[in-house]
Amino acid sequence: MNLLYLIWRNSLRKKTRFVLTLLSVVVAFFLFTTLAGIDNALNSSITNSDGLRLITSHKISMTRSLPINFQQKIQTISAVDKVTYASWFGGFYQNEKNQLAVTAVDKQNYFSIFDEYQLPESQLKNWQVTRTGIIIGEEVAKKFHWQLGDIVPLSSSIWMNLDGIFTWEFIVSGIYHGKNATTDNKKIFFQHKYFDQARAYSQNSISWLSIKVKTSADIDSVARLIDDNFANSSSPTRTISEQVFMKEQAQQFIDMAMVIKIVLSAVFFTLLLIVCNTMMQIIRERLSEIAMMKALGFSSFYLSAQVYLESLFTLSAGALLGSLFAHITLSSIKVVMAEFLPGIAIAPQHYLHLFALILLAAAICTVFPAMSIYRLTISQNLGAKA
Amino acid sequence: MCNNNAIQLKEINKSYQKGNNQVVVHNHFNLTIKSGEFVAIMGPSGLGKSTLLHLMGGLDKPTSGEVIIQGENIAELSESALTTWRSENIGFVFQSHHLLPVLSAQANVELPLLLTPLTKKQRQQHAETALALVNMSDRAKHFPKELSGGQEQRVAIARAIVSDAQILLCDEPTGNLDRNTANEILTLLSKLNKEFGKTIVMVSHDLKVSEYVSRVIDLEQYLGSKECQTNSIPTNVTINAATNATTTPTINTTINTTTEA
Repeated sequence: MNLLYLIWRNSLRKKTRFVLTLLSVVVAFFLFTTLAGIDNALNSSITNSDGLRLITSHKISMTRSLPINFQQKIQTISAVDKVTYASWFGGFYQNEKNQLAVTAVDKQNYFSIFDEYQLPESQLKNWQVTRTGIIIGEEVAKKFHWQLGDIVPLSSSIWMNLDGIFTWEFIVSGIYHGKNATTDNKKIFFQHKYFDQARAYSQNSISWLSIKVKTSADIDSVARLIDDNFANSSSPTRTISEQVFMKEQAQQFIDMAMVIKIVLSAVFFTLLLIVCNTMMQIIRERLSEIAMMKALGFSSFYLSAQVYLESLFTLSAGALLGSLFAHITLSSIKVVMAEFLPGIAIAPQHYLHLFALILLAAAICTVFPAMSIYRLTISQNLGAKA
Repeated sequence: MCNNNAIQLKEINKSYQKGNNQVVVHNHFNLTIKSGEFVAIMGPSGLGKSTLLHLMGGLDKPTSGEVIIQGENIAELSESALTTWRSENIGFVFQSHHLLPVLSAQANVELPLLLTPLTKKQRQQHAETALALVNMSDRAKHFPKELSGGQEQRVAIARAIVSDAQILLCDEPTGNLDRNTANEILTLLSKLNKEFGKTIVMVSHDLKVSEYVSRVIDLEQYLGSKECQTNSIPTNVTINAATNATTTPTINTTINTTTEA
């Protein structure tokens, strides 16, 4: 028998209570780790293009278009490597339940900038010479059983074609796969040139431009230069890094960072209440035992340290299980939100925070029990009668 | 002062604050217990028997006066010093044995040894020996809920002697036991007194204890007596315990003997 054995036995003394407390801790640390993973994505500066890509859109709203000739103007900036453009088509297949992310893109250089969409060179060339060709993600191909050469009708709720209908016919010319696990494999691309010629309105306009700069050091200056150039035009622009763009897209729905902070604060406050309450209950139940141990010569410090280690054990076990479940959950979220919110991962320093938090939480949970232990009068708790 | 004194209470005053009232429990109380004595303190409830025991064991401090245990005035010790002192000098046996329910009999006996520099193996050896002395070897792996009241009290006694403390303070150790079991516990304590020279002070309501002890102090009578006021030992006391420390076996020597055998 040693101290650790005593702590282990004491922790499991009331198994139901231990399991319930442990579950609370597991849930708290599950939320903590999961939200930390999402927070990491929101704050991460890592993009698919190593932070070299900018997005230029209309200053007022993404829904307002820009002139297509902005591409040539931006291309003249020396720090710019490549410029491409795209327009949002939206779209669905057969019925509106089958929503698809269809985008009209510049056939010349879109895929050289967005090299995370990978397809055989022959398919890319075939697509470039097929006016109504589309490149689809492998998940789309799998879902609808589309193959190269298939003719597929896609409808848009925004764009009418010159025939006066909203359904457009395309030929599957290429199937891409993602460069890495975070790449979205559910996109569809078609030629912007065809889109511009075949749509009933808004010719020579685009939704946004994507710019690849030569070095990441230039990214801020290029963004400023572009916006300054078009500040007095009919279409003033707003240029931001791709990462900021992603974050803003996410925050259109909800201020994630704020939600994360609020949830984390609530989680830890609740966690502390639960574990503190449990430890106080434990101490109240063991008053006579603690008095006996003090009588045997155990100091108040020793007994408080025992309570601390008991709290630490429960919190550590909960944190371990909670983090494990969070890992599993984040692996799934990561795939689902690959394009929308890339960079979902648990940063190594999260574990340091976690460790520090466990130590701190255990210390806070020990404060009140320790006060009880120090104040405990042996003679009264051993049943002495005057 | 006689060097043979194990416990001396000198001019003890003890009072408690209960609300706005000051309750005086002991007033100029004196008592001397010699090494190797087996003393029973008896008397009606409310006279401060347990308080005396707690003062002797350093569990409580007198309002004033001296508590001299084996030559050291423990009333002057700090809380932390008292804690250490208790672990080295006193064995306690309580009416409610206060065994930890999550530990086996052997682990309960080992508990005080966690404060010593003994190795795990040595702690086990000491606990096994102590359990053997109280005839509980066959129940070493049993948990308190699997033991009878008498067996639990035996384990508590083993825990009290495992550190080889020379003084055992027993607070109504037979209070919760039936007659036969109580006799067994008294026989065991008597054996520890006679064979191992332990100084035992026991608080009890059980009249039967007078058959086992070397001195009975009826606290009600004693408080009014001259001895209580003058701190002298009553002349009619017979000390029948072995008092020669050099020839008396201890837990350590017992372990050595067992190992050698």
